[in-house]
Amino acid sequence: MAKRITIQATRFDPEKDDKPRLQSYDIPFSDDSMVVLDALNHIKAHVDGTLSYRWSCRMGICGSCGMMINGTPKLTCSAFLRDYWPQPVVVQPLNNFPIVRDLVIDMEDFMDKLKSVKPWIVRKQEIPLGAGEHVQTTSQIDDFKQFSQCINCMLCYAACPVYGLNNEFLGPAAIALARRYNLDSRDQGLKDRLPVIAESEGVWECSFVGECSVVCPKGVDPAKAIQQTKLDTTMRFVLPYGNRE
Amino acid sequence: MSLRAGEARPALSNTYRWSMPANWWTRKRHYFFYMLREFTALPLALWLLWFLVEIKRAGGGPAAYAPHGSALFVAFSVVCFVFALYHSITFLSLAGVIIHVKLLGRPVPSRLIVLSQFGLWALASLVIGFVLIWFGR
Repeated sequence: MAKRITIQATRFDPEKDDKPRLQSYDIPFSDDSMVVLDALNHIKAHVDGTLSYRWSCRMGICGSCGMMINGTPKLTCSAFLRDYWPQPVVVQPLNNFPIVRDLVIDMEDFMDKLKSVKPWIVRKQEIPLGAGEHVQTTSQIDDFKQFSQCINCMLCYAACPVYGLNNEFLGPAAIALARRYNLDSRDQGLKDRLPVIAESEGVWECSFVGECSVVCPKGVDPAKAIQQTKLDTTMRFVLPYGNRE
Repeated sequence: MSLRAGEARPALSNTYRWSMPANWWTRKRHYFFYMLREFTALPLALWLLWFLVEIKRAGGGPAAYAPHGSALFVAFSVVCFVFALYHSITFLSLAGVIIHVKLLGRPVPSRLIVLSQFGLWALASLVIGFVLIWFGR
């Protein structure tokens, strides 16, 4: 007899419900390579077409399918059912974000915070294409490469109790990406980002819980980026001529 | 809509506002030890305040001074000592994450930074212990 697994998914219809509730679905667990996203897709296709959730690439690249799996933020495309079976799997929307419908969260606050740190290369004056490429050594690339792996999946925000208690906190991913560009030898946007990252709701709001780095599916260490930014901004303030670019 | 730095976007009107449960820190081992780490600062601060009172009391010279030695205070001091060790170990272990230095163009490994912090801690403890014993004789 084929194995089966119970998925308990959050349901919330803003037109009808006062608060979210869990709904159970008993589905076939036919293949050990099945992930939680496959289970949601099975429910959507064969059991209940009204279930809403975000997903796209199915291979841990797009960062769309982050949800709480048994209370831990994970990409559903990377969470194997075999790791939970025969226990039920509870699938909920990411913590710390408003819920739009079922498993879909409102991510606008995160998008605003991301934009506020200008996560792109800022140049005071663009070098004309004819002047050649921006040459970087491997050592210069190593300085920021780790932080450039971020896929904006927001798992770190769901794991961060500081953001959960005060959503004015800039948050782990935005600060990690700010550091990624501040460490890039081609970038000249440090002074544009400092007013955002060095203020009280920026790096100084973080009390180093460290769970953001634990849950990151791409091995980025946002806690490290935040603590190093604290040290750097302090040195800029304390050292003579420390405020130079 | 553009926001100022440090400002949070208000949620859409028809969304469900998620709020942190009061017992959030009991739900994961990592959160619990984080709270414990933060909490240890409180009894340590109280003990240090008491230490200042003792220094003030010792100002009258050795003849007039009798250290506070109740069993309760000794027990509190032992607990504070354990908390101080826990706080120091967690703090110094994180140094490898925070400090990033390059030597001869290559980054110094985090493990080496942490070991150097513990080494300096041991050295400082030895020096302070020596000074206290030497001058206390």
